[in-house]
Amino acid sequence: METVPKTEKPQAPGVHPQPLWSVRPASDRQAGDAVVSNFIFHWFPAKALKDSLAWRYSLWLGTVSAALLLLLVLSGLPLLFLHVPSVERAYGSVKDIEYVVTFGYWIRSVHRFAAHFMVAAVFLHLVRVFLTGAYKNGAGRSQHREWNWVMGVAMLLLTLFLSFTGYLLPWDQLAYWAVTVGTNIASAVPLVGPQIRELLLGGRAIDQPTLIRFYVLHVIVLPGGLGVLFAYHMWRIRKDGGLASADHAAALPETAETAPGRTKTYTLLGLARGTGPTIRASSVEAPDTTVNSIPDLTRRIAIVVLGTIAVVSILAVFVHSPLEEAANPLVTPNPAKAPWYFLWLQEIVTDTTIKLGSFTVNGAFVGGVILPGLLVALLVAWPWLDRSPAAAAGRWFPQTRRTQNLVFLLLVLVVLALTFVGTFCRGPYWHLYWPWETWPVLPTRI
Amino acid sequence: MSQKPDKPDARREFLVKIGIGTGLVALGGQAVASLRSLVPNVSYDAPTTVKLGPPQDFPDGMKFLPDQRLFVFREGRVFHAISAVCTHLGCTVRAEALSQVETRAVEGSPLRITHRFLCPCHGSRYTGDGENVAGPAPKPLAWYHLSLAPDDGQLVVDLAQPVARSFRLTVA
Repeated sequence: METVPKTEKPQAPGVHPQPLWSVRPASDRQAGDAVVSNFIFHWFPAKALKDSLAWRYSLWLGTVSAALLLLLVLSGLPLLFLHVPSVERAYGSVKDIEYVVTFGYWIRSVHRFAAHFMVAAVFLHLVRVFLTGAYKNGAGRSQHREWNWVMGVAMLLLTLFLSFTGYLLPWDQLAYWAVTVGTNIASAVPLVGPQIRELLLGGRAIDQPTLIRFYVLHVIVLPGGLGVLFAYHMWRIRKDGGLASADHAAALPETAETAPGRTKTYTLLGLARGTGPTIRASSVEAPDTTVNSIPDLTRRIAIVVLGTIAVVSILAVFVHSPLEEAANPLVTPNPAKAPWYFLWLQEIVTDTTIKLGSFTVNGAFVGGVILPGLLVALLVAWPWLDRSPAAAAGRWFPQTRRTQNLVFLLLVLVVLALTFVGTFCRGPYWHLYWPWETWPVLPTRI
Repeated sequence: MSQKPDKPDARREFLVKIGIGTGLVALGGQAVASLRSLVPNVSYDAPTTVKLGPPQDFPDGMKFLPDQRLFVFREGRVFHAISAVCTHLGCTVRAEALSQVETRAVEGSPLRITHRFLCPCHGSRYTGDGENVAGPAPKPLAWYHLSLAPDDGQLVVDLAQPVARSFRLTVA
């Protein structure tokens, strides 16, 4: 305990001697004051469990994703002033950002790299959470980690849809044919498919209503939704008592053998449940399992956030963003490839047209609707299907979850392999080539 | 109030329910109106019936019309038109001239097969009559109705009217 300096006026107990706080507190009290006094720091608990902060457990992938989201919002703001969402001028405005606007290419590149990295980081975060069973509830009370997992799946989908709507905005060839293919997948939904496509396009053809719809989705609707889910995601982590790896550290000690006072209730005080006065304090207060959030938690967050921003910012100086030819409804590029994170889907819609006699099911429906829908449904439902014990939560590769982890990893590998094939092995007319093979020269116009 | 203590409570609860219900109806109405406004009532799409030019301007063999995404075939005085829209996911297929031209009966009518069609997006392949033979395409390329405009005699395609593969337009 630090003693209050002698020069200070004597204070009433519980009243803070000064409204000052420090990111490098000299005492527990100053560390607590920071949480109470500062708006940013009030998001954090006063104490953090050491196990929650471990680098090796979470790999801090969620924080990386959040840092990339922050960077995307920051780099998106100047782009918002510069991009013109009109089919006649969008391409030109992006070309101006790339070649005319001072620092324009860098801002666009930061935005693009942050988007690519965010897809990867959010996906890896999901893989980590699955492998460690972090959607499972441990010893703590009123934990609902399964809902945070569901929110996480929703946020992955939002991230993907944000990327999709984002790469449409330059209105180049990639954009035009991605909309063509993407909305045709939507129209493969039975019964309401054509209506969904018309709603997405704002008509029956890809034109100005389409661009403005995807634009509004990209800059308002989807980021807003992601922001709300992000806030809920963070709040749930606090409610669930930190990361799943910290459950055993926070586990409550055994109840005292003789619980006295069966007639009195202590519930009203908010101290204990039932009639026993014994406070089963969790070890959140125990000095050997916890540290002050300021500076131990905030220092690591700063390292991860600033590190992420630094990597993206420096990379963006050296690597420029591509811009294909202006959108041309008359010519489909050959091959017409989606961005890398959708190529596994492009592979699946290629390979899943099913012919049963004279009856044919379009791959757009099987690979574009059924299989992805099934994958998402399985992901969402998994916390309720996983019957492993609570002790398996928050550990890498526990024995009790070995089979499901292996099956999950196999699925991840299939997705990665399909992504590899789509990225490196597909050439003109979507033929298979080895990555080192040169593609035949084909006339670009018919 | 002391005589009928339950009455004001019941009335109050009823009013609260009315209030909440009205609020929900108002919100639902706003939501429906907002979503419905996004469903277009007027289509500004290109017309489906298009004049393609005088028939004599078309070369013997195949001509690709990118604006209509259409292949128009001419064999002397006989015309037919095949869509260039892939039936899988709507990319524009490309025509590749065959080294050997063959004539074969398609749905009862002889047809000179001069090309095959390949899709750059997912690798679907079609024969010269539009039949899907490889890749994910679930059905053949559409054939469209051709006619002559009554006013100026131009070739007219109706992109909303698919026809059988035995369809031919013979120009006098």
